[in-house]
Amino acid sequence: MEGKKNIPVITIIKDGPLKVSGDFTLLKENRFPVESGSEVWLCRCGKSSRKPFCDGSHKK
Amino acid sequence: MDSGERKYKNKEITVYWKPSSCIHASACTNELPEVFNPDERPWVKIEGSNTSKIIEVVDKCPVDALTWKWNDESKNKEVGREHPNHIKNRRKSLLEKDNLDTKLDTAIDIMDDGPFVVNGGFLLERENGSRSKFSGTVSLCRCGASKLKPFCDGSHRSINFKSK
Repeated sequence: MEGKKNIPVITIIKDGPLKVSGDFTLLKENRFPVESGSEVWLCRCGKSSRKPFCDGSHKK
Repeated sequence: MDSGERKYKNKEITVYWKPSSCIHASACTNELPEVFNPDERPWVKIEGSNTSKIIEVVDKCPVDALTWKWNDESKNKEVGREHPNHIKNRRKSLLEKDNLDTKLDTAIDIMDDGPFVVNGGFLLERENGSRSKFSGTVSLCRCGASKLKPFCDGSHRSINFKSK
């Protein structure tokens, strides 16, 4: 269905961030690509000082 | 459409209801009970509010249980990602003419002061290792306050989440 592309996998880390792998584009304000296709860790606790990425703040 | 699906039309828009997708996030019933009232039949009263308010609330559904389109097909072409629950973004199969931009790869939109909104196909892997496939648009909590994690339930507004 996605051609040669690898469907993205979003993994929910218990008490931690979202891990995203596969082929995808991460967009800011619906427009500007931030990252494309690499593995990223996205903050889902709201506390990271480098949002949208995880900085480990959820452990504090 | 799948069995059990309904559509509700006013002069300007059509709202689609897909019960099999509902995760009871309650974004619609909390924000606009004049239109979305599960205690009444039909539970959607499209005449209960104005078009712009209905669009605003339908766009908050974190899955594709509620979607919408303009009745004037030419207006649907102009809709972009600012309306996550427009059928162009969530349910392309409902489009009568497939001449819209349907070649989008999976994209994760970072909403200011709001959730991650995933557009396109992806696998969601839970803490227990189980995987489920999603396509269309799904909103994932990034404020930490949702009662429906990993999905967004609109709590970022009540805690005044600031992403910057």
